[in-house]
Amino acid sequence: MADNLTLGLSQLPDEMLSFTILKASEGIAPRLGKLAFPGRSTIQTPHYVGNTSRGVIPHLSQDMFSKHTNIDAVYVPLEDFIEKAPQQTPPVYKLVLPDTESPLRRFIALKQDALLIMGARRMPPVAAPAANTNSAISILTSVGFRHLASSDYVAAAQRLRPDIVVGLGDIVYKQQAKPSNKRVAKMGDRTEAWTKDIVAGKSGLGKTTRGDSCYSVFAPILPISHGLQSSYLDELADEMRDQLSGLAIYDPGSLVDLPEVLSPLPRLSFSEPASPQQLLHELSLGMDLFTIPFINAATDAGIALDFTFPPSNEPGSAKRPLGINMWPSTHATDLSPLSSGCECYACTRHHRAYLQHLLAAKEMLGWTLLQVHNHQVMDQFFAGVRTSIGKGSFEEDRVAFETVYEPELPEKTGQGPRVRGYQFKSEGPGEAKKNLSAYRMLDERKELLAEASTPSSGADAKDLEDIGFAEVAERQ
Amino acid sequence: MVSLLKLSKVTEEGVRFLSPHDGSPMLLTPEHSISLQNSIGSDIIMQLDDVIATTSPDHARIEEAMKRSVRWLDRCIAAHKKPEVQNLFCIIQGGLDLELRRQCCVEMVARDTPGIAIGGLSGGEAKDAYCKVVDTCTGLLPEKKPRYVMGVGYPEDLVVSIALGADMFDCVWPTRTARFGNAITSSGTLNLRHSSYAADFSPVEEGCPCVCCRPPEQGGLGITRAYIYHVAAKETAGAHLLSMHNVHYLLTLMKSARTAIIEDRYPAFVKGFFAKLYPDRSKYPEWAVMALKGVGVDLLVD
Repeated sequence: MADNLTLGLSQLPDEMLSFTILKASEGIAPRLGKLAFPGRSTIQTPHYVGNTSRGVIPHLSQDMFSKHTNIDAVYVPLEDFIEKAPQQTPPVYKLVLPDTESPLRRFIALKQDALLIMGARRMPPVAAPAANTNSAISILTSVGFRHLASSDYVAAAQRLRPDIVVGLGDIVYKQQAKPSNKRVAKMGDRTEAWTKDIVAGKSGLGKTTRGDSCYSVFAPILPISHGLQSSYLDELADEMRDQLSGLAIYDPGSLVDLPEVLSPLPRLSFSEPASPQQLLHELSLGMDLFTIPFINAATDAGIALDFTFPPSNEPGSAKRPLGINMWPSTHATDLSPLSSGCECYACTRHHRAYLQHLLAAKEMLGWTLLQVHNHQVMDQFFAGVRTSIGKGSFEEDRVAFETVYEPELPEKTGQGPRVRGYQFKSEGPGEAKKNLSAYRMLDERKELLAEASTPSSGADAKDLEDIGFAEVAERQ
Repeated sequence: MVSLLKLSKVTEEGVRFLSPHDGSPMLLTPEHSISLQNSIGSDIIMQLDDVIATTSPDHARIEEAMKRSVRWLDRCIAAHKKPEVQNLFCIIQGGLDLELRRQCCVEMVARDTPGIAIGGLSGGEAKDAYCKVVDTCTGLLPEKKPRYVMGVGYPEDLVVSIALGADMFDCVWPTRTARFGNAITSSGTLNLRHSSYAADFSPVEEGCPCVCCRPPEQGGLGITRAYIYHVAAKETAGAHLLSMHNVHYLLTLMKSARTAIIEDRYPAFVKGFFAKLYPDRSKYPEWAVMALKGVGVDLLVD
């Protein structure tokens, strides 16, 4: 199999994406690989790709991204950029650059050596109320729900020239009701048509810069059983195989009965794993790349991830939490780093007490530091996974991880940053406010103030520390 | 202490207020304030003062606040445990009443603190009244002590206040306005959330050497106005990017002001600054023209 793969790749133009499997066992098993693209950092797989919102990893300005993270690939959803298209031309389409440059990359100021992967929908996507049609999917832009036609998606890919385009799929997301049988019957056919569109568009427009194509295509594999999409999978395997550079996987279960001929392709997961344990499960099935929404979800919730793979052998019978909720005031005087031994920017320069203070004060820096740390934890996690696969001890290590750590991330207690319209779907009238107001009138406490007694005028910090600043004088 | 809080009660003892976090009653005395600042260990610490909005019609209360601030200064000096490593600045009060300001200057200068702040301004008063207060105070302050005008941050205010003899400023405006999507440039403040910038692919300010504006070929990020429009008020990173630019703008402005002073061409610097900000000379703000005229700089003459 490895020989075939090398042969297959050597036929591709030099400028294209290449994926080399460095280690794989027979059947369903974790594997090591190397994803290379000219001009970009080579990515050792398994790994994750940074998950962006409106062109940035949330809370990390582009300079922080370059200086203080090791992220070599990002996933960018098109729906973040096409507010009123097609009625109004999105601004990014108007950015005119030489054919060798990607307007999308320049627009979001993404560094040159980071791999740019474009898909249609955010991760996680907000489920749209309208169903997909035969020619378009439902999306949510910052100005509302609308449709994105397959033809428009191809045009966007040609114009924006990302390194990799994830083809449109007629996906029913986790948040949505199970698809009916009638719908399932259509899913494969629609996705097949759309995949043909995006593949055909590779050489379209005459805007060809990298050999014969202006982008590489990852074809979606639908989150339904093999049997229900068999004609689509056959089409991928028989007709389109040479045009594909990878697969987008929405349900890791798809990996089990994937056609053999597709297995040399890199696999990018869009399955919204909720925990590192679920990542390990997907890794055991041979997943190569991941989008991981829980990293940002943890950051927004004020949780510092705290796990390593393989887990260190510390004695203790209780299961260890996967992260530390930084909101509680128990951290207020704790000068230790978020995770001991972590070498990230946040852990080497700051401490838990400062983090807790920043969150309590709702300072944006708090989320920035957490985001840097949480991505570093994932970097280390995947480095550990690769070493473990290389040594052949992955299954053992995975069992150890599941024994040592709690199965889920800690519960979210604190409020995150303001939620924006493109991040949630309104549930109709009577819905609770998504962003609570920061201040309220204090009139009702007027009497309290009048009754308050005060400490002596000679009091100094030492005395006052005992009751805490500023001292609470007689709560009623 | 500025009463941004709706309910605060100032007595001779200190300020009582309700915690904005949980509504619990709190008391801040001059001694406690200094004690806290001693434990924080900052290089400069500020006295606790009694601040009344300059726009307050209650003259008697303004006078009381000024005199109380002087008395509180004495308590702060007495309570200051680390005068050898931390510099206590007094804060001159007195509203817009120049006579009260003069009295306050005399009283506070006599107490010989390492630095002097002019407080209570930037609270919505007319700009000419502001300039008169700064001018009056700086005229009475010793030459060799830093003069710190508190809460001032618009570029015009800084440039004029420097001409009036002020040395230091602080303001939340550059970063706050960045969070709202406003960019400070030498030709004025741009609201980059306006749709006219949606497809404007020029940098926030042409030629600006800040990390945000500098093109990628020169090691910058090459952020465009269109991208700020895309993220402002939607992603926190938009606020980060504009904050970098805005703070850089103000630091550079102050640096050029220092250079101009050293090279003895501050009047020319001020003229150049206003000419860029207001291409039409007739639009120059009256208060700035008058204030600068008072110190011998005529903006309307080349």
